[in-house]
Amino acid sequence: MNRDELQEKIITILEDDFEFSHPGLTDNLRDDHGFDSIDAIELLAKIETMLGFQLARAEKEKAMSIRTINDILDYIEAIQAAHPS
Amino acid sequence: MAEMQVCSPPQSCWGGRVVDFVVTMACWSYFILGFLFFFSFFYGAAYLFSSQREHAFQHLNHLFFKGFLGLLRILSPRQEWSIDQNIGKIESSIVVCNHLSYLDPLILISLFRRQKTIVKTTFFRAPVFGWLIKTSGYLPATTEGEHGLRMIEQVEKMGEFLSSGGNLFVFPEGTRNRDGKIGPLHKGVFKIARMQRCPIYVLSLCNTDSLFTPGKFLFNTRQRKSISMTILDRIEPEAEHCPVSVVDLEKKVREIFRLRTKSCDQKGGPSKQVEEWA
Repeated sequence: MNRDELQEKIITILEDDFEFSHPGLTDNLRDDHGFDSIDAIELLAKIETMLGFQLARAEKEKAMSIRTINDILDYIEAIQAAHPS
Repeated sequence: MAEMQVCSPPQSCWGGRVVDFVVTMACWSYFILGFLFFFSFFYGAAYLFSSQREHAFQHLNHLFFKGFLGLLRILSPRQEWSIDQNIGKIESSIVVCNHLSYLDPLILISLFRRQKTIVKTTFFRAPVFGWLIKTSGYLPATTEGEHGLRMIEQVEKMGEFLSSGGNLFVFPEGTRNRDGKIGPLHKGVFKIARMQRCPIYVLSLCNTDSLFTPGKFLFNTRQRKSISMTILDRIEPEAEHCPVSVVDLEKKVREIFRLRTKSCDQKGGPSKQVEEWA
């Protein structure tokens, strides 16, 4: 999955499942959309489903520092690179 | 709100304060000595030998605080305690309640055999108490530092905990309410409800702040008050919307709380459906 496809999927998830309205790639997710650690954990479950494999604890812990959609995309790309299919 | 007490003669106030001091010391003695010389052995055994450590610790917490509140009730006979008996029957649900005093979580722990709650992160660092709440599977309020992994583990296990009969109780205002007006509600609990699609019970608690006033060390056992806890409503997330909306859940709970504040102020006690706490 390339970055554009990932971006489209993540924005769809954020709008449909997390009640986001027109999120921008550099919006501060916490301040602008009320995205908190519980959301991050829910999002991780959706990322696992999307990628088709389970994330390690350490990988999940790293997700707690995500602040923007660009951070989410960087995070997923790094995970994909660490789990070559 | 606590009423102003007029003492005539003034010595009667001192007498009352002595009674409050004795009751407070007796309760603290139970808290410290009861734990050290009785419950600690059970906690230790559960930690070492139980295959379901979290479950065992929650049950011990339930018994420990049931004893604490039983003692407090005996020592403060002027308080009329009325807890809706149906609250103890709640299972597999998220429970939200208004927050008036530090007695509130103890009451809920004493009512639910299997319980989790969200605890201020600073308490996790406290000696002994921090170990107890960690082992009981309680959730930290933030994900800073070491708490990130704990939060992930606990939220991931929440579905299994709730489906096996446990209750997650939360005070969505986050802190004790001191002015009677419902403050902003934290949305975290509603997000967990959205994830788990489980019922939300909204409870109303009255007058625990009269018995244990925020900022005061001593219990105030002298005022006649009716301490009550009632079920205001049960929300079924599935029935509300599909997919469930956190914003709508928060609005609905806020509206229920707003009505509660009126009913608590007007009646100062329990509704007709409330039965004496057995």
